[in-house]
Amino acid sequence: MMDIAIYSLVDDMVSKAGTEGVVEYWLRVGESYAERMGKEAYVGWPAFNVAMKEGRTSLTVEGEVNVLTDLAIIDRDGDVIGYVYALKTCPMAPTMRRYISRIGPIPDSDTDVADSYNNRIRDSAVSNYCITHQKFREVAANNITVAKQALECLQLANKGMTGDVKMVPENLARINVDERHIKSILRSASCVFALIVKGKSAGEEIIE
Amino acid sequence: MAENIESNPFVDVSVYLFFEDISDKQGVEGFTNYMVGQAQSLAKSVPEEEYETWDDFASAVVSGESVFSSFESIEQISKCGFVTKVCPFSKAIREYIKRIGNFNPVHMEATDHFNHTIQPSAAHSACMMHQTYRKEVAKRITVGGKPLQYAQIGAKAYTGDIALPPESWKKVLLEKAGISETQGYMEMRENSCLYLLYVED
Repeated sequence: MMDIAIYSLVDDMVSKAGTEGVVEYWLRVGESYAERMGKEAYVGWPAFNVAMKEGRTSLTVEGEVNVLTDLAIIDRDGDVIGYVYALKTCPMAPTMRRYISRIGPIPDSDTDVADSYNNRIRDSAVSNYCITHQKFREVAANNITVAKQALECLQLANKGMTGDVKMVPENLARINVDERHIKSILRSASCVFALIVKGKSAGEEIIE
Repeated sequence: MAENIESNPFVDVSVYLFFEDISDKQGVEGFTNYMVGQAQSLAKSVPEEEYETWDDFASAVVSGESVFSSFESIEQISKCGFVTKVCPFSKAIREYIKRIGNFNPVHMEATDHFNHTIQPSAAHSACMMHQTYRKEVAKRITVGGKPLQYAQIGAKAYTGDIALPPESWKKVLLEKAGISETQGYMEMRENSCLYLLYVED
């Protein structure tokens, strides 16, 4: 029942703190959730990817993830710097279905908060919950090391309840993956992201 | 019985954290007010219901067809006495403890605040939301043309602590529910929540 509270809580908060205030709350929640999960270390990519498949990492508490090992991300020296992952089901999907079935249509405040985030921060939210979820992944990734190197999460694409898709072109460019390829992954997933060694890219290195 | 759609605990835990963040900014009072306020809003969003007889209503509640039992499985133990076996928040509470650790003390502080300022019936912060939802959703249901009334008798927290009303209230509520105090305690051993549903004669 706790999850159902999101919609009425967000509705209430929008009237008191505005959509921008709710975005700030969600960003802080995502950050504190990830920070409280603690740190993790893996000896290498195979160990990390097995942990992802088996749902043992802080990044897989959100649900089952497909590890796309065929999509290794290579830097200009030919070293593997990361992989692409696909979350099969959005964690909000059951809550949305339950809300619609038991209460009624999803309140407009859901889209209003997502739009506020999309317009001011990054155009990557298909619902208000994406804000905290994506922030959680970004911070959780920073708390994980693979071969003693901290990770960075790049949001690539996600799909909303009605089928609307958000892509983050700058992140696709950074790992040099074609948008059409990600769209094909989204056919059987709700969210696609990359985990790479912090500061690296498929082309030039990014300076922090 | 309506389809049971399980929530993802990732979402449940983040809602608890949302409330904790509110308490950082607005204190325990803000936490309590938001939890109560959103439960009121949620209840106001559900469709209204009307039943011709008490038996029709009780049957709909027990079979999960009423909005009163949208989020929990309810059993009837006497004409007006009802119990919820498993607290609908227990999974979220377990997941919070499993993933993050001890519950932030602000949850108990808010529970105390609710018990002192609104009514002494909550065993955990989630009870504030749950009991407010029940109270408000009862206002949307009529039985034989009369509004449904709800009164909480007992609530059990994940720690085993039970919140009970003051002695003077408890006696009246148990009498109205048609159960003895011993039966009430027996019910609280098996269930997470005991309450009274009735319509004024």
